[in-house]
Amino acid sequence: MNEGQPPVENGGVLWSDGMDLLKDVAERKHFFPTGLEGIDTLLGGGLRKGQLTELTGQSSSGKTQACLSFASHVAARHMGVVLYLDTSNSFSPSRIARILDEIPISLIKEPKDVRLKRVMSSIICESVFDIFALFEVLDQLEVSLNDKVNNGGKKICLLIIDSISSLLAPIIGGKYSQGRSMMISVAMILKKLADKHNLSVLVTNHMVAGNGAPKPALGESWKAVPHIRLMISRDRGSNICTATILKHTLMASGRHLRFAVPG
Amino acid sequence: MNNKIQEAADILKAVDGSNKFKGVEEPCGVLRGAQNAWDMLSEEQSQKHISTGSSDLNGILGGGIHCKEVTEIGGVPGVGKTQLGIQLAINVQIPVDYGGLGGKAVYIDTEGSFMVERAYQIAEGCISDIMEYFPYHHDKASSGQQNLQPERFLAGIYYFRICSYTEQIAVINHLEKFLGEHKDVRIVIIDSVTFHFRQDFDDLALRTRVLSGLSLKLMKLSKTYNLAVVLLNQVTTKFTEGSFQLTLALGDSWSHSSTNRLILYWKGNERCAYLDKSPSLPVASTPYAVTGKGVRDAVSSNCKRARIM
Repeated sequence: MNEGQPPVENGGVLWSDGMDLLKDVAERKHFFPTGLEGIDTLLGGGLRKGQLTELTGQSSSGKTQACLSFASHVAARHMGVVLYLDTSNSFSPSRIARILDEIPISLIKEPKDVRLKRVMSSIICESVFDIFALFEVLDQLEVSLNDKVNNGGKKICLLIIDSISSLLAPIIGGKYSQGRSMMISVAMILKKLADKHNLSVLVTNHMVAGNGAPKPALGESWKAVPHIRLMISRDRGSNICTATILKHTLMASGRHLRFAVPG
Repeated sequence: MNNKIQEAADILKAVDGSNKFKGVEEPCGVLRGAQNAWDMLSEEQSQKHISTGSSDLNGILGGGIHCKEVTEIGGVPGVGKTQLGIQLAINVQIPVDYGGLGGKAVYIDTEGSFMVERAYQIAEGCISDIMEYFPYHHDKASSGQQNLQPERFLAGIYYFRICSYTEQIAVINHLEKFLGEHKDVRIVIIDSVTFHFRQDFDDLALRTRVLSGLSLKLMKLSKTYNLAVVLLNQVTTKFTEGSFQLTLALGDSWSHSSTNRLILYWKGNERCAYLDKSPSLPVASTPYAVTGKGVRDAVSSNCKRARIM
């Protein structure tokens, strides 16, 4: 299934050695600059292919704004398709148009409105309102990604789910464990997609009141899922945000930076 | 064996292809039924918004309450939440000829605060403003005149009175069927979503689950039926950073479950509205007033005439 060499077929079992992995990382695991400089610096370049990044924060801290901004920048610069799964009707095309308007025109001469149309046509949005719909969409996505390997065409490079926690909140907790197992299935599918098809996956999570300070929702078993967990908060009444790394597989956590969300 | 798998894949592809709405557009082929942002933008630009009655308030909301979105409105008692709710139930019915949506309203009342006499007054106020703005229109179209009766406006509000949270859940589950039968409904107002959930609920984790399920259902309704959902919420005090502060009720996880959030508050003797959350608009605040005719601009702000549209 994989287009690159790494997993070498050898007597039926797939394995690769460290050098293959290093080569794979250098060749295929690129970073997508997000357009928000503070976040790029924190993440060492942006969202990474093949990884699952989680964005967490209080209500109206700027999670959706960051998602919209990432979607616009990735679609504008990488000629890839961005799939945006929206659970709270907050995907705002007019906001995307405004963000795109501020991205400087690339070297290729292209009138602004043509570019706007081209870029916006490669951001695809689907509303998802329950966990079963999410499973269906992910399944469809997998089928079409498997297809795409054969027939070429524009490839999906970024999958955004804003927000995963509102889909999971109604089913987890209580005395039944199905909810928890569905949550883990979602995590497995997302990681599989990210790895197999070299996608970057971004999900947003809520914050809930913990003992004392607010903490990301979904509990301990979800905590192990994302490669990178980034928390953002916003000063009330301003557009200055603080981003903090809570978990990172490569870099030290706990670092934070302030940045401004463009009005 | 391989052949069979190939065959099955071909069949699946053929079935898939015939199901596609518009598989012609390349990127949309990725996912059936999904829309790209460009199409959504043109759709969004042709949308009409529901006026709040105050042009300042419409200003910070980007033209009024948006369809396909869930808007939460919160504030202390007496600041005008219910007034705004009734106003929206009336304004959504302004006929298309007069720049409105010509829709109907569903009003789910959990507190018993919907006053029909007040709705009648607001309808009269709304009609008299329309007359003022469209004098010519009004002379010519006598058929339109018949529509401009307060009684017609009241008849266009479907009212549900809820007395417990079980009923509230049941009504919201039933709404899907109801809205399927009444396609002209363009706004659903729940006044207030909080009331029954603030009492007789011991298991708070269960409450969170029920509420988040509820909010997803409302999101789905607003998207599927292209209507605005307005949730009125009460306030509570929260202990943060060493002091008690007013926040909206139902807790942190509920605060994620609306698309937009508008907070109404008192500033001295003036009523103000603050847009706290919105995916497309900047944070902003503005004064407004509640007059005999309904929600209007605050008089002090440049002495503007109250506008409907």
